Amino acid sequence: MQTRRIAIVAGTLLIALILVPLGALAQTELVVWHAYRGGEKTAFEKAVAEYNKAKGGSIKVSTLAVPYDAYADKITAAVPRGKGPDIFIYAQDRLGGWIEAGNTIEPLDFFLEDEITSRFLPTTMEAMTYQDTVYGLPLNYKVITQIYNKKLVSSPPKTSGELVANAQKMTDATVGKFGLAYAYNDFYYHAALMNAFGGGVFGADGKPTMNSAANVKALEYLMMWADETKILPAEPSTALITSLFNEGKAGIVFSGPWFLGEIAAGVDFGLAPLPTIDEAGSPMRPWMTVEGVYIAAPSQHKDEAYDFAKFLTDKPAGVIMAIEGRQTPANTAVYDDAKVAADPILQAFRKQVEVAIPMPNKAEMTMVWSPATTAMNIIIKKNATPKAAMEEAQKEVVQRIAALRK
Amino acid sequence: MNLEAVKPSRLAIGLSLALLFAVGFGLWLQARSRAGLSAMVAERSAIVSLNALTEIVERVGLESDSLQGAVARYVELHEGVASARVIRFQGIRMMASTAPEDTGEQAAPRKMAREEKPLYDLGQSLRAAVETNVQEGRAFKTEIDLQKLPAGGVALAGPVAEGDKIVGAVLIEAIPSAYQVGGTSWLQALLVLVVPILLLFALVKVAGDRPLVLLLLAALLLLIAVFLHGILGLEALHEERMAAEAHISQELTLTSRGLATILAQEGLTASPPLEPADWDVDRFRRPLGLVTESAVDEQAVAVREAGERRSYINLMIPVTVAALVLLGFVGLGAAGRTGAALSRHRVAYFYVMPAMVAMILLVFFPFSYGILLSFTNSNVYNTDQPLGDIWIGVENFVDILTDFELVKTTEDGRVFNYQNFYWTLGFTIIWTVTNVAVGVTVGLFLALILNTKGLVLKPIYRVLLILPWAIPNYITALIWQGMFHSQFGVINQVIQMFGGQGLSWFDSPFTAFITVLSTNGWLSFPFMMVISLGALQSIPGDLYEAARVDGATRWQQFRTITLPSLKPALVPAVIISVIWTFNQFNVIYLVSGGEPGGSTEILITEAYKIAFEQYRYGYAAAYSVVIFIILLTYGIWQNRVTGASEGV
Amino acid sequence: MKRSKITDEPEHLPLHVFLVIFTLLAIYPVLWVFTIAFSGGQSLAIADLPSDPTFLDRLRAILPWPEQVSLSNFKSVMTDQPFARWILNSAVVAAATTVLGVFLATTAGYAFSRFRFPGQRAGLMSFLVSQMFPGTLMLIPLYIIIVGWLGLGSTWIGLILVYATTAIPFCVWMLKGYFDTIPLELEESARIDGATPIQIFIRIILPLAKPAVAVTALFSFMTGWNEFILAATFMDEEVMYTAPVGLRFFVGGFSQQWGYFAAGSIIVSIPVVLLFLFLQKYLVSGLTAGAVKG
Repeated sequence: MQTRRIAIVAGTLLIALILVPLGALAQTELVVWHAYRGGEKTAFEKAVAEYNKAKGGSIKVSTLAVPYDAYADKITAAVPRGKGPDIFIYAQDRLGGWIEAGNTIEPLDFFLEDEITSRFLPTTMEAMTYQDTVYGLPLNYKVITQIYNKKLVSSPPKTSGELVANAQKMTDATVGKFGLAYAYNDFYYHAALMNAFGGGVFGADGKPTMNSAANVKALEYLMMWADETKILPAEPSTALITSLFNEGKAGIVFSGPWFLGEIAAGVDFGLAPLPTIDEAGSPMRPWMTVEGVYIAAPSQHKDEAYDFAKFLTDKPAGVIMAIEGRQTPANTAVYDDAKVAADPILQAFRKQVEVAIPMPNKAEMTMVWSPATTAMNIIIKKNATPKAAMEEAQKEVVQRIAALRK
Repeated sequence: MNLEAVKPSRLAIGLSLALLFAVGFGLWLQARSRAGLSAMVAERSAIVSLNALTEIVERVGLESDSLQGAVARYVELHEGVASARVIRFQGIRMMASTAPEDTGEQAAPRKMAREEKPLYDLGQSLRAAVETNVQEGRAFKTEIDLQKLPAGGVALAGPVAEGDKIVGAVLIEAIPSAYQVGGTSWLQALLVLVVPILLLFALVKVAGDRPLVLLLLAALLLLIAVFLHGILGLEALHEERMAAEAHISQELTLTSRGLATILAQEGLTASPPLEPADWDVDRFRRPLGLVTESAVDEQAVAVREAGERRSYINLMIPVTVAALVLLGFVGLGAAGRTGAALSRHRVAYFYVMPAMVAMILLVFFPFSYGILLSFTNSNVYNTDQPLGDIWIGVENFVDILTDFELVKTTEDGRVFNYQNFYWTLGFTIIWTVTNVAVGVTVGLFLALILNTKGLVLKPIYRVLLILPWAIPNYITALIWQGMFHSQFGVINQVIQMFGGQGLSWFDSPFTAFITVLSTNGWLSFPFMMVISLGALQSIPGDLYEAARVDGATRWQQFRTITLPSLKPALVPAVIISVIWTFNQFNVIYLVSGGEPGGSTEILITEAYKIAFEQYRYGYAAAYSVVIFIILLTYGIWQNRVTGASEGV
Repeated sequence: MKRSKITDEPEHLPLHVFLVIFTLLAIYPVLWVFTIAFSGGQSLAIADLPSDPTFLDRLRAILPWPEQVSLSNFKSVMTDQPFARWILNSAVVAAATTVLGVFLATTAGYAFSRFRFPGQRAGLMSFLVSQMFPGTLMLIPLYIIIVGWLGLGSTWIGLILVYATTAIPFCVWMLKGYFDTIPLELEESARIDGATPIQIFIRIILPLAKPAVAVTALFSFMTGWNEFILAATFMDEEVMYTAPVGLRFFVGGFSQQWGYFAAGSIIVSIPVVLLFLFLQKYLVSGLTAGAVKG
């Protein structure tokens, strides 16, 4: 009898001993890489903490912030070799390259339910789609918009006519004052004008269209601003634009959410959508970059990772990132939240994104930047006409793509 | 050449080693070709099966109720196929399956299960591949996926079309092919190895004590042996190849007969008629055109074989040369001398070894990988392929070095092409020479001043002057860039303070060059100063005493004592800084960014752009190799002039 | 011996004048770094000019001095992130790089200077050659070796190994050159006195080569201290990052916090300056006439 009892006790203990470590083992650890910093990082980590709490220990997500300048290389080196994270967050511009390189990003079509895809702004989903396959859930988007100094600009211009008229009044280049300042020599910023004229870098068939009539027209239009009406400063580096705006020497700036953190304390500013270009009959349509949540192809915990990605792109996490991280989530429901709805800055970006166009996510996109930058520079320096410069850029891009896809 | 050392015994050893090496390599190549042949048969039979099944699926229809039955009968009829599955993208559905677990509850048609996600993703990637190929109008991505199964055999997947849309995929698992390819002829190899050595001994008897003749004879024997072995091997391979093609032709016949039966059972007329020859395709689904149902196209096969033969010969030539070198090395007694030298100088090697091991692992290994890469077309689309498959020889180098387009014609007329390789090279050289000259002159000058005896505050000056080196150059480079801003930069402000006209520094190649030169000169003089300070300490003070006694002026002292004494420490520093400046990436990238129009780009920033903006890794590696060769030439020349690598 | 200062030594005053002017010019950009760091703001320096600037306005604009002095950037850098920890990591890595690099380089440099052996020239050349291949394409092969094969991801050792090998070629060449200037007679006499080769190396050669060892030490330290991309790629835990990685968090991407970056840069250069201060005395204490005469 005694021995039997001992046996039972011992048996129970044994089972308990086995079960305890099993319980501990059942926790899934997920690693997330991102390049957020400052307030964005704090908010992101808070959202992750919420998830960990909600999972009650069954899943534990840990984060690693990587400096932006090393981030893409780190992913390229680590992920395909199975040494990377389970999830990483990156803008769509490298998506095509990583998909072509293989074993980096897991396709999500298999997982996607309609209720998930309908959460997001359709254009942000488009940014996550490569060759008709969805590879990520859109987290936040970034677009440039109109930022104006309320002291200098009473009501933000709605059309290009108003913009030029007002800006000319304010501009006095001899004392370094300008009606409008933005990095117009940067192709990314210029894209807003380009898209307004219906231009673009790739046609529907995926072939480059740098020299399209619309692109040339947009550049001629830019040259009218820079050269004829002279409302823009020369050599517009980001540092210059920041300092002009902060010193009250630029009434209007076209820039994105990152610019808001650089505005000096005393400056009273407002946001408004980019103006409509009368000559194009369309609003300026900036390029949109979308930070996607991607599941690493070699991850061992893809289901959990997808669960986490869903949480991160859901409304509660979105509200945290919008209010505390000052980000603009791709989930449309976030903007219905009372606090977000009352936030003029977030609403301004939400409004601007309606006309934004996702920046191409093709691998070939990286081949566009350098020829485009060269073209922009020689056009602005008036060393070439827009037409000639874009013909040259087109030749260059076509040649580079041909060399790559040999 | 030391012909005294040639002895018959040494020659025999040398010849046998050389034979072992060359013939061994040839054997390995031939064995590899045999393995390749048997893999080819397995792959092509499997692809034929896959395409035949795809034919059924497309004819029966993905939605048809009888699809499962047709697929099952197909698998029954085809011994080579272990199982087959058909998926439809829309609704993520498994439309038919003969996998053993897919019965009862699991039976198709049904929604695909979570474990089947890889199959679905694979199908989608094939669809994307087909669409890409159609768009590009050429075979760019493989349309048939092939994986080796761990248990032997292969798994294949191919797209299913409906009209001109890809709507699903067919996946099969094929059992290991029973087809046998002949083995290596060991007897032949043995003969090729032994006979030349026996002949050599016989010839020693005849030729006697004439070392040069013997050496040449040994070389001749080696060549004959390698040649014969190659000829015989290739002939045998040809026989095997023809048999293999015949086998595949037979497979086509059997498969098409089976297919006709199934289609008849389904009540489908075979219209349009089956084209079995079109099932024998490569991974891009391009018909190979080697066999038909009834015959082997010998001419087409011969064309393919010629290519394979060429690559065999291309590989054997360097190997044979290496074998000849080996023969000479051993035959002339160099091997023995090397061994002796190793043991005689073991102390020196012991001292060098630790540094060398670290270098080999972490520098020379990646470095050789880079060189290999430079001969390939490696880019973002093919990183998963072995280097051998994307080997393009010296094409990259030819592309780089034959870029003579110094002037290009645009709509605005003819303009200078700053993106030309030779401009970039010229600019890089000017950049390097001026920078090192500035760095060394300023650094040495400051060191000389700071070496003045009794000068007060020296430590303060020294510390302040190394600050440009100590502060991370990422920020200081950008501050320099800001200083050159045309409207708000400090430099133009100073010019305007004195009534001058500011410049647009980044608008012309020359002024842009001034900006990067000043930045880099500023960044690099502290290093040269520190080196020179250290080097100045090696000059014994009494040399100057003696010179003073002789009444030498300070300039004479500098020329006759200081400079020569600085040489041993300064020359390496100069050589190294030439190399660094040549590859100085940050300053150009951050300050001028290559503007205007790429005129201030240097070779390394160009290589970086090719690799990271254009995703062409092979081409970028070739660029790096070109940089390397230029620097190597410089290093060897400099060494010859200064004798810097000589021991004391 | 009595020396006539008038003829042999240059006049000191002109030298001071020159040095002061040159030093001011040389540290001018550095002063801007200080200005940005102490400004409390985040923007890169841009001259702020009133309308129709006068000479004095322009002068004020180019003088690097913040409008208000604030320590807030320094405070934020040290408290918002585990920056102190990252500096500590950097210090450990750079110090170990220095020790390892100098050790490997002194032995190799000595052999190349003192022994004649087959492969000597080739060996020395091969060190140089290793610097000739551009490093931009090395990241992935190095990643495969360090993280994939050696399993040294997220460790100090991995970084130390890479940095030391990066520093070795220059150190070997520098030391070899310097060893060449040390007279052979010194060793001969020691050998006659019965010293072993190792003793000669440690007791005679190394002390005499102090200036060169100091230079190589400083150089090795800098190699490990400022490197960013490998450290960011190899380290998978935030606590293992080095200071340059931490610094780069402030720039890159869309927004740049130059105030933080400048403050961090200053903090990061303090150890380098301290090390230089410490090494200075070796840098200027080389061979003396007495030592040569032995």
